[in-house]
Amino acid sequence: MKVIGKTESKERCTEAGWYAYDILLDEDIDEEFIKNLKRFGSLLYMPMLKKPFFKVESSNYLLKGMKGEPFFRLAIHKDYEELVENIVQDING
Amino acid sequence: MIYLNQAATSYPKPQRVQIAHAASLSAPPVGQYRSSLTAEKDIFDTCRENLGKLFGIEKDSRIFFASGATEASNVLIHGMDFLQKHVVTTATEHNSILRPLLNRKEGKKYTTIVGCDGKGRVDPKEIEKGIKEDTKAVFLNHCSNVTGMIQDVEAISRIAHEKGVLLILDASQSAGCIPINVDEWGVDGLIFTGHKSLFGSQGMGGYYLREEIALKPLLYGGTGLDSSRIIYYEPPYEYEVGTQNTPGIIALNEGVSYVLERGIENIKIKEQGLLREIYERLAIIEEITLYGSHQTNKGPVLSFNINGLNPSDVAYILQNGYNIVIRAGLHCAPLIHQYIGSEAKGTCRVSISDLTTEDDVEAFLSAIKDIVRSMG
Repeated sequence: MKVIGKTESKERCTEAGWYAYDILLDEDIDEEFIKNLKRFGSLLYMPMLKKPFFKVESSNYLLKGMKGEPFFRLAIHKDYEELVENIVQDING
Repeated sequence: MIYLNQAATSYPKPQRVQIAHAASLSAPPVGQYRSSLTAEKDIFDTCRENLGKLFGIEKDSRIFFASGATEASNVLIHGMDFLQKHVVTTATEHNSILRPLLNRKEGKKYTTIVGCDGKGRVDPKEIEKGIKEDTKAVFLNHCSNVTGMIQDVEAISRIAHEKGVLLILDASQSAGCIPINVDEWGVDGLIFTGHKSLFGSQGMGGYYLREEIALKPLLYGGTGLDSSRIIYYEPPYEYEVGTQNTPGIIALNEGVSYVLERGIENIKIKEQGLLREIYERLAIIEEITLYGSHQTNKGPVLSFNINGLNPSDVAYILQNGYNIVIRAGLHCAPLIHQYIGSEAKGTCRVSISDLTTEDDVEAFLSAIKDIVRSMG
């Protein structure tokens, strides 16, 4: 799965000093992709939901999204914005 | 989409509001004092008259339009010259009050913030304790936009007036869904916004100020009246400057007319019935923390958290998994969370309007049960 785009999210994470981006993928997110995100931090996965939800948290950023969607949200602390590109590159392998 | 974020902006609007607003854009412009074109009725004064009826204000010519509650509160705070004068306010306030007060010169020194209980109630006796000899005004939030708690305005008004202090009421969250009686309660100034329970468009609101209270304008400019007067050495001042938001006023007037015809008591009863259903059914879910109850919190707003989940995650799941819109976070009212116990992450907030249906509520409750079950 590859990242094909990145847009600034309208969500108001900035209220707490965080910036958010929607990371667009070339395929819908599947379970394997979600489980592989563990490498970025602690994973919360709720597979029983009608649309399964996941969240990966580290101290300076978090990723969250839904299985079956071609995008996820990446929120990052304003002091660590440079990590956005590292995460994108990591996902692209 | 199921929209339960009415405390931010109401949606949908009554059909008559949509029609009137759209029609205003294809009609010749009617400007207050600025055009030889005359409408059948002056929409500005008609809207003031309807707002006066709704808020229990006899002297409706003292109602002025602004872009919303934020502009209105800034006009009052800066125009009444509270610079370096002591005021009392509460922890339940929205930033539209807190920020203008605290960003005055030495604002922190000249502002006493009274706390509230775990459901958002402010004890009038605490307001009394906060009033000092040099206090000029009490700024009070009528209905919390976090917990839906409605404050005892009459009691606080009595206290303020006994001490010779003005009472300025922020009715942003109550206007259009909770009865307001400005004259009867002795409210000196009222701040309101049009885009919530009054069903107007965004960017429309206003304020009322008792005639005897001095107010210098915050903004100066064209008014269409007495154009040769350039410097205002003394009253009368003009407060609505620049071309007014006529389509917004037309929409607001339709929204207020809807509320008046529907009846504020009927709206209140309907909304409290729906909220009671939500409170009672969330209260029996062990994993949920509620920040109020249907017996005490009577505004159209309810805050909760699902233990173990961040409120922003709950909102994300509801929006992306169930197409249900709520709001998560501090709701621009940062101080109340220290008192209700949600300062770490804020709350999930559900807010309804007169157009919210029982089906909307059922869908929301079913989604919440799903989320809790899936945490297993």
